[in-house]
Amino acid sequence: MDYLFESLRDAIELIFAFDREVQATVWTSLYTSCAAIVLAAIVAVPAGVLLGLTRFPGRRLLVTLLNTLMALPTVVVGLVLFGVFSRQGPLGSFGLLFTPVAMIAGQMVLATPVVAHYVLAAVKGSDARIMNTALTLGASRFQAGVQLLREIRFGVIAAVVAGFGRVIAEVGVAMMLGGNIRGSTRTMTTAIALETSKGEFAMGLSLGIVLLSVALGVNLFLNLLQQR
Amino acid sequence: MESLIHLRDLCIRQGENFSLSIEHLELLPRRIYALTGPNGAGKSTLLRSLALLSPPAQGCVSLCAAETETLAQQRRRVTLVEQSPYLLAGSVSDNLAFGLKLRGIRGKEQQGRITSALAMVGLDGFEQRKANKLSGGEVQRVALARALVLRPQLLLLDEPTANIDRKSLQAFEELLGRLPDYGVTVVFSTHDLAQPERLGAEMIRIENGRLLDESPRVAKYNDNQQTEKKAWLKPLNAQGL
Repeated sequence: MDYLFESLRDAIELIFAFDREVQATVWTSLYTSCAAIVLAAIVAVPAGVLLGLTRFPGRRLLVTLLNTLMALPTVVVGLVLFGVFSRQGPLGSFGLLFTPVAMIAGQMVLATPVVAHYVLAAVKGSDARIMNTALTLGASRFQAGVQLLREIRFGVIAAVVAGFGRVIAEVGVAMMLGGNIRGSTRTMTTAIALETSKGEFAMGLSLGIVLLSVALGVNLFLNLLQQR
Repeated sequence: MESLIHLRDLCIRQGENFSLSIEHLELLPRRIYALTGPNGAGKSTLLRSLALLSPPAQGCVSLCAAETETLAQQRRRVTLVEQSPYLLAGSVSDNLAFGLKLRGIRGKEQQGRITSALAMVGLDGFEQRKANKLSGGEVQRVALARALVLRPQLLLLDEPTANIDRKSLQAFEELLGRLPDYGVTVVFSTHDLAQPERLGAEMIRIENGRLLDESPRVAKYNDNQQTEKKAWLKPLNAQGL
């Protein structure tokens, strides 16, 4: 028990000492996850709205596929994209493997189905009168869809937050596509795995605390938005 | 007189048990039509068809003066107020401004129209009220103001007096009765069979998705009178409404 308390004390000291390595790792995690979630939202939010509002042959199959992709193992995404970005792969000539760009691409693939699924759920659960109201006031179908998004904005924000939670907490993609390179592609999760395996439990714990704080901060932000 | 809108060979199926089937219906400009019939007769479905909300599976609904326009453009000539209307998030003013912005009306003209429309329904000074803090009756009136502010050629009202108390009913009917003078054709559904007579409305009776009698039962309008549109949106001296 003493070991745990001592490690916790050391971890807190490391955080408040503003250790450069901890800062660099936190920064890499934050900017890769933020970039991935922004890109995923650009694809997934319209996709979720379209799936929620339109009916076409194969739609049910697409929704089933989307739900399946939500449970996509991170290492599988890492493995497939490793093949794409490796020297022999179709995008090998760009030299993207073990760079933050490859990590962002992998995390985007992970987050897109999650965000699309929750946006679809928000659209399906929305008031059926919203679209008709916008249309009857003179909106085109596109403008009515935009208004629908405004009306269900809390559902959309929750979807984006869920996607962010998926990418910031994942290890597989960051490890396989980033390579855990110090100062470049080392994220909080890959650093926790590495430091713990080296016996630097306090360092791992300090990063774990930061990771939890980020999750808490994002959820507090969401709550504040909903109360407005 | 050229008709404002006509329906031909319209057929709309809803589920397995209901279909709205109308061979021919023509509505003339600047008139009031009362749509009556039992629950489930197809009144709301007919109103939605007239609002051009969805193209019918069979037949056509066409606005005569706007046949070359796109569906979205045509829809801007028509406004539907549903029985339990949905107010968009934001303030009362945001709700009234929504349709105006879509028509490129902004600034002082927008503000002026909003103020007048709210005065017409007896909600002066409600501009900044939050839409989600209004009572049921106020929601109904804001929805009516939101439609009136757009100055539609065809105003469709689905049971507009269902949530209005007796005191406000007279003012509402007075407002409704004056709308044709401003160039508006009004179609409203109602269960109050005395209401069409009070308003001098022509009756459209519907049952089991079919029109019972397409000919007007009450002729109020005299085509020789009121041929010019009057200045729009003079606040009605309404008590309660």
